[in-house]
Amino acid sequence: MTPDVKLVVPAKPDYVRVLRAVTASLAARLEFTYDRIEDLRLAISEACATLLALPWEATTLVLRISAADGRVTAVVCTDADPGADAWPPVEAERTLAWRVLSGLADTAVFEVGEEGPAVRLEVEGGVVV
Amino acid sequence: MRAKNPGTETSSGDPERSDELFARLPDPAARDELAALYQPLAEYLARRFYGRGEPLEDLIQVASIGLIKAIDRFDPERGVKFSTYATATVVGELKRHFRDKGWALRVPRRLQEAGMSVGRAVTDLSQELGRAPTVNEIARRTGLSEEEVLEAMETAQAYTASSLDAPTDEEGATEGERLGEEEDAFEFLEGWTSVAPAIRELPKRERTILYLRFFRGLTQTQIAEELGISQMHVSRLLSRTLEELRRSVGDTG
Repeated sequence: MTPDVKLVVPAKPDYVRVLRAVTASLAARLEFTYDRIEDLRLAISEACATLLALPWEATTLVLRISAADGRVTAVVCTDADPGADAWPPVEAERTLAWRVLSGLADTAVFEVGEEGPAVRLEVEGGVVV
Repeated sequence: MRAKNPGTETSSGDPERSDELFARLPDPAARDELAALYQPLAEYLARRFYGRGEPLEDLIQVASIGLIKAIDRFDPERGVKFSTYATATVVGELKRHFRDKGWALRVPRRLQEAGMSVGRAVTDLSQELGRAPTVNEIARRTGLSEEEVLEAMETAQAYTASSLDAPTDEEGATEGERLGEEEDAFEFLEGWTSVAPAIRELPKRERTILYLRFFRGLTQTQIAEELGISQMHVSRLLSRTLEELRRSVGDTG
């Protein structure tokens, strides 16, 4: 699926803010509620922090967002190369990061994205109009 | 870069020597010597911006660029001392650097006010609507644009306002009951040895927010209601708590 937005920034914590702001802005356009935007924003921070904390060197951080039918799908990915079988973690569901992410988003998946290790987040808007 | 002229003791350069050098511009050797002469001023100004999250080396680099710009643009005919002109240019360059990095040096008054009115609107609208409001609804209520509302939300998460961080001692009626549940929930976390100590060290309110959000699945609005604090405050505490946990996990793991 072609994302509505694709952002490529250096794999540095300073840029996470940019990704967060763009995601929040898109969600606002979809009439997301305050709570869900805050959740999405925290989830993006947490996903980026998780990926940037991995031991394999990454140079770029990529965010792809698709927004449709009151749902935002955001995939954060780095170009790190963990080699075969090192990502996603075997017991992903036992990490604090996953617990937090799955609490914030409706769906949180550690997966292998286009460039490398990725986190997929799906968040529903939460407003019934 | 070191001053080529170690005899120069003043941080603002030697005015006479600098007049001579400006008269020789655009001679590159004169330009270099001027840059060296005023480098201590640039470093001094860079140091004044240190401690805001940027490495000193980077700040000195930015200040040095500002200094070169000042040298190139300075017009001795104007009657302004070069050190005065250079200070303004270098400080401008340093401020712009922070702005470009997306960091404000402090939260501007406009944003503080926007933050407060957004916070109030979220609380009021949540009660009126029985659910959290959308950005559009907050914008209509506050008279701000949607972009301004988003900006205020981002600001609330990015900066910790110390006045809001004062600990509260209010004990809710359900407090005792909840503490029991909390203990059980965190028991489950004990297995994650890297996280447990960090969670145990959290202030009580932060622990409670973490528990309510991730173990009882309450929304930020519901937590705000339960604890009697604003949604923005919940959001800020939650984002800071997660950051702290991440840091401590990173330290031990």
